[in-house]
Parts: sequence; C-alpha cells; structure tokens
Amino acid sequence: MRLLLLGNEAIAYGALASGLAVATAYPGTPSTEIVETLVEFRDRFVHWASNEKSAFELAYGAAVAGARSLTAMKHVGLNVAADPLHSAAYTGVEGGFVIVTADDPWMHSSQNEQDTRWYGVQAYVPVLEPSDPAEAYKYVKLAFDLSEKLRHPVILRSVTRVSHVRAPVEVEPPAPPKWGRFTRDVKRFNLVPANARELRKALVEKWEKIAELSADFITVEGSGDVFIVTTGVAYNYVKEALSRLRVDATVVKLGMSVPVPRSLRNLVGGEAVVVEEGDPVVEVQLRSLGVATRGKLDGYFPRYGELDTGKTALGLSKALGLPYSPPQPPKPPIEPPPRPPSLCPGCPHMATFYILRLATAGLSPVWSGDIGCYSLGINLGQQDLITHMGSSVGLGAGIAVAGKHFVVATVGDSTFYHAVLPQLVDVASRSIPLLIVVMDNAYTAMTGGQPSPSRAIPVEKITEALGLPTFVIDPVEVKKSVEVVKKAVEIVKSGRPAVVVSRRPCALVAVRKARRAGLQLPRYQVDPDRCTGCGLCYNLLKCSAIYRRPDGKAYVDPALCVGCGVCAEVCPFNAFKPEGRREAWLELWQQA
Amino acid sequence: MATSIVVVGVGGQGVLTLARWIGEASLSEGYDVRIAEVHGMSQRGGSVEVHVRFGKVVYAPIVEEGGADYVVALEAVEALRAFRYLKPGGVLVVNKRVIQPPGRWISEEELLGSLQRSGVKTYIVPAADVARELGSVMYENAVMLGFLSQLLGLPMPPSLDDRNREAFRRGARLPV
Repeated sequence: MRLLLLGNEAIAYGALASGLAVATAYPGTPSTEIVETLVEFRDRFVHWASNEKSAFELAYGAAVAGARSLTAMKHVGLNVAADPLHSAAYTGVEGGFVIVTADDPWMHSSQNEQDTRWYGVQAYVPVLEPSDPAEAYKYVKLAFDLSEKLRHPVILRSVTRVSHVRAPVEVEPPAPPKWGRFTRDVKRFNLVPANARELRKALVEKWEKIAELSADFITVEGSGDVFIVTTGVAYNYVKEALSRLRVDATVVKLGMSVPVPRSLRNLVGGEAVVVEEGDPVVEVQLRSLGVATRGKLDGYFPRYGELDTGKTALGLSKALGLPYSPPQPPKPPIEPPPRPPSLCPGCPHMATFYILRLATAGLSPVWSGDIGCYSLGINLGQQDLITHMGSSVGLGAGIAVAGKHFVVATVGDSTFYHAVLPQLVDVASRSIPLLIVVMDNAYTAMTGGQPSPSRAIPVEKITEALGLPTFVIDPVEVKKSVEVVKKAVEIVKSGRPAVVVSRRPCALVAVRKARRAGLQLPRYQVDPDRCTGCGLCYNLLKCSAIYRRPDGKAYVDPALCVGCGVCAEVCPFNAFKPEGRREAWLELWQQA
Repeated sequence: MATSIVVVGVGGQGVLTLARWIGEASLSEGYDVRIAEVHGMSQRGGSVEVHVRFGKVVYAPIVEEGGADYVVALEAVEALRAFRYLKPGGVLVVNKRVIQPPGRWISEEELLGSLQRSGVKTYIVPAADVARELGSVMYENAVMLGFLSQLLGLPMPPSLDDRNREAFRRGARLPV
C-alpha cells in the first residue's frame, strides 16, 4: 500500500509492522504524530504519559521484560528522560527498544536547538538517522531488529523536515504485538556500584562492536576523488546541490551517525567534506578517527538553523573551491507587518491574563511563565521568563526568595503535571510567597489537543493536599474572578504561597464539539455608536478577533469570533452586542 | 526538475489541507512529492508556510529563498511575507482576501494593487467570493486548487467531497 505519509506516521507504521507492543510519549512538536497515530491501535499498550521520563521508563521497563517498545519525544524532552537513558545502555534490554527523538533545528516550535546525537555519544546508544519518511519507515524496523540483536536501546533521530514532511511511503500491514515476560537477573538490572562497574566495562566493549556494525548502514553513491560524508535529511540537500554545481563526488551516506564506522577512514582516504543537520557530531567523530574534514567546524556550513539546497550548495562550493552564485530573493512591494502567533480567539486564558492584570494592579509583578500555549502571553507583556517545562514555579520561587518581588507563576494544566509537582512540594514546605496560576484548559492544547490528566485528577485536590490555599475561577466571569484572585493576592502579600486554578477547556476543542452537536455559536459585533475607541479590547484584552479600525473604533472579524463574550464583559461602554444566546454554548464548552 | 511551491496563509485557513491536495494530485499523476508542513506554534493565528515539491524525483523537502516556481497565498498579507521565496520568473497566486495583522490596518486595494505593480507575474483569484456563493468560506481552498490546476497541469485530487469538487470546478473555470 503506497500512502502519502508524514514522517511521524511512517515511523508509527514501521513500528506496527515490527510487532510493536508498547508505545509511550509526552506530546511535543515535532514528535507528536508518532504516538497520535498509534493511539488508534487498541491491541497494543499506547499511552500519553505525564512527562518524558515517565514515558521512557514505561517503555524501557516493557523492553526489559522482552516486549517490543517505543518511546517518542522531542529533543528537549530527552533531557527530561536523560537519567533513565544513561542507565538503559548499562542494563540493555531484552525486547527491541527504540527511542525516537525529533530535533527542531531553527526552533519552529521550541526553546532551543539541540542535537540529540550527542546523547547517543554520551550514553553509548547508537543513533540511526533517516533522511525522509520512506527511510524513516524502513529505519524504525531496522532499529527494532538491531536493538533486539544487540539487546541494547537504539535512538532513531528525526528532525522537523523528516517528521513533518509528507512523502510517498510503501506500507505493510501491522504485525501482531510482541509482548514479553520478565526474567530475573539481579546483576544486570540492579545498578548498584558493584554491578554497574562490571556493566560499564562490558558497555565500552560492546560500543566497539557497534562501531563495526555501523558500517552495515553505509550507502555510497556517485564517484570521484571528492568524498562527501552526509547523514539524515542533509543527504537530500547534498543530492540537489551536487546536480546544481555539476561536480562529480562520492557521496557516503551514514544510516548510523553515532557511532561512525571505523572503516570510514579507509573508505574516504583521509579527507572528506561533512554535511549534516544540527551540530558537527559526525564531523567531530571523523576528526577523532584522524580524517581531515571540511564542514561546520571551519564555518563552511552554518552552526545554527536548518540546511537547505542553497546553503548546502554555497557551503560545498566554498569547501571545494567551485564557482557558485546563489539566487537573489526579490523584495516585497510593502514590508509585511509581523503576525506573531497569539492566543486563539476565545481562548479562555486570554481572559485569565486580563483578570490577573487587574487583580495585581500596582504590584508590578514578575511574570514567571512556562512552555505551551500560555507562552503566548508574551504578546500581553505577561511573560518575563520562559525557559523550559516547569520553569514557572521553579524559577518563580527562586525570584521570590531572591528579593522583594511579587511573583506570578503561570502554568498550563498539562505542564503542571509534567514538571511542576516536585517544585510545588518545595514551595509548600518552605512557604515561599508566590502566586501560582494554573490555566487549566483540560488538554495539551498546543500540540493539537492530547488528553491531560487534569479531568481525572483535579489540580485543586493536589494543591489543597499540599496545604496551599487554592481558589478556583471560571475566567469568562471576568468581574467575579478579579475579586476572587484579589483574595489570593492578599495571601501572597502576607508572605505565603497561594494557588488560583482558572478552569475552562480549550476553545478549539469546544468549537469543534459545538459544530458536531449542531449548536449555533453566538457572535459579537461592535455598535459603532457606543464604541469610543478607548482600545481596551484590542490593546489590553488583545483578542485576536478584534481589530482597530483606521478611525480607532473596534471591529470584530465574524469569521474568527467564537462568542466567548469576554469583550462584552470588559467593555465599559457596552458596545459589544451578541447575535444569539450564550448560555447553552458556555455550558457545552465547560464540558468539552 | 522539480516544481517548487510555497503555500502560505494564516493559521486556521487550511494551508496544510491545500498543500496536501496538491501533493495528492501530484502523486495521482505518478510524480514523487515532498510536503514540508509546520505544526504547533504556527497554528495559533500566526503565519503558516508549507512547502510542496513535485517532480520525477524529489530530494529536498524545503524550498530556499529565491527558489519557488509558485507562491500560493490564501491571504494577501502573507503573500508579501512569502515574496522572498519567488525565483526570477516565479508566479504569485493570491486569494483576494485580507486578514488584518494585529495593530495595523492595510486596505485591500493598497495591498492587491502593490502586488500587481510589483513586476512579478501575479494572479488575484476571487476564491473568497466564489466560496461565499457556494455557501461557506470552507470552500475557498478548493477554488484556489481548481485555479492552480490550470497552471500546474494537475488533476483534481481523489479525496475531495462533493461540495469541494464543485468548488474545484468553479476555480478551474476562472479565467487565467
């Protein structure tokens, strides 16, 4: 069956064809669709975990017991799972265990660039690197076989332009899941120092064998004295750049980029141009083998961002001393104004931010933010720091103890369960004064709406159990909510922590459900006679369905309004008028 | 030689869907195809950009600046942003529709006029108007696709439903 598949879907189908039994993940762009595809297959154990460490451990444990398992995450997610990753190489596994990480060069949807292959070097885990969806399908099968043969975890490294590229892929039907049974082996699975020392020696020896096996994954194309070593998505740019430069070269493609095969030194004769996406991981390894390289280390190719055919052609032309003039991009007739991503029209937590601003007026708070939808609060001037999952409460507590700041830590419900629970224990046990605001929309929304644990385990049950005073609000009730949040603010001002849980589900999910239920949403329009152009709605609330007309008055784009009615709540001049009623809609929304 | 297309618009407009349709149509003609999508952050009301390349054999999944045969814009402000992708002799195809960016109001006349005077071969497609006649903005993309089929020489993709098929046919009859 030939299908037009996303790289991530191809990975999922490859895993199914390999007899996958257990798959786990925490969603993160660009890795999400792997497990999203697998969720449909009910004869396997597929789970959205609370974070990557938990996901990793579930899959690792299953593989230790002999089941074929896969865990998927984005590059920064692997940091969360880095601890068990390093142990997994020591103990090895019984069933095939494939760790898929999707790197995000140029940070389309991430806080940093990170090359997962370094983790392969550091943790002694081999890395396979597919160049496109069809190869991703093939490599995940190879990865399962290799892992089971070596009894060792294997990383499959993808990047945005493999995971989120759609291409034709030939797909076989799923194979029955391969489950397992745990066999006790205390010396192998108990990493106490006496055992771990022995395992460490064995691991280093095994690594040499893996480095030999790496040669099986080499493909060589073309001919000529010029050797180009490449891997992953970069291979595609090399192919197109070479035909543009009209140069003969031997292209050596590494299917396994960590560890590089020792025999590569003989193959390329001591000198090569290296083209790879991300850091110079292959290049550094080649230099350690004594091969002279030209690549990123000498600046022939950029050390940041993504490659493309143009950058590759330019780099190759410089490295090989060939003439090349890159295409000159034309200038637009008008400089396009920026259109930054913003909270969706009707996002209930646009109102939460507004409520927080009113309730903390005069305190000039430090806004300690977090990863996910609410990082978009940056457009509202309400995100002073966002560094990683869990930074809201973690760094916020540090700022609170460092000085006399009033700190507001804002976090989504999914991130709350992912990375904030241990920090809350510290805040509660030392009574660190911090206003913690959990914007609960019941989903991991930015990655497309995976379920979050918040409905099964309400946030307030946890914070109350920790002894933290907790207030629950519905953000579309703006005025009422401001009064409630002010009570929490008073507690923090008195030197103690407090929690506000602002609860209303993701508007995108709710609108979809309303459409399916055939419910007509109310729409709000501006009465131009009442609107004074004060700008409260478009400058302060900043609803992205509301524009400022050239005369200063507000205008609601009817195609974007979802009828939340927050504009009508905040407008002092009563200028927003609904078409249709709001009650049934708000009721359905709260259940979404 | 691959044909390189950059499809742009605003999150929620169906940029991914249009790109996928072009991909399906290419595949049904026996071409190799790559569609480079964007997910996550860019879905939230921001600019969305998807690259489609089809041809006998395609390697690179993305189009470089100055490398696109076509820029297809579902919205006119985003056409400006994607302008840099056009190669010399490249063609711009714009839906006659403006979604105002935050904090600034650009009139439709100013925007479309500037594109037509830019020196780049530009088609302005009344897809929004045709879709409204058909009953919903949802059909805009199929109208655009129908129009594009005339330029790209691609057939109707097999997965369209009846209303979208009608929208495609209307687009395919719009004068080039």
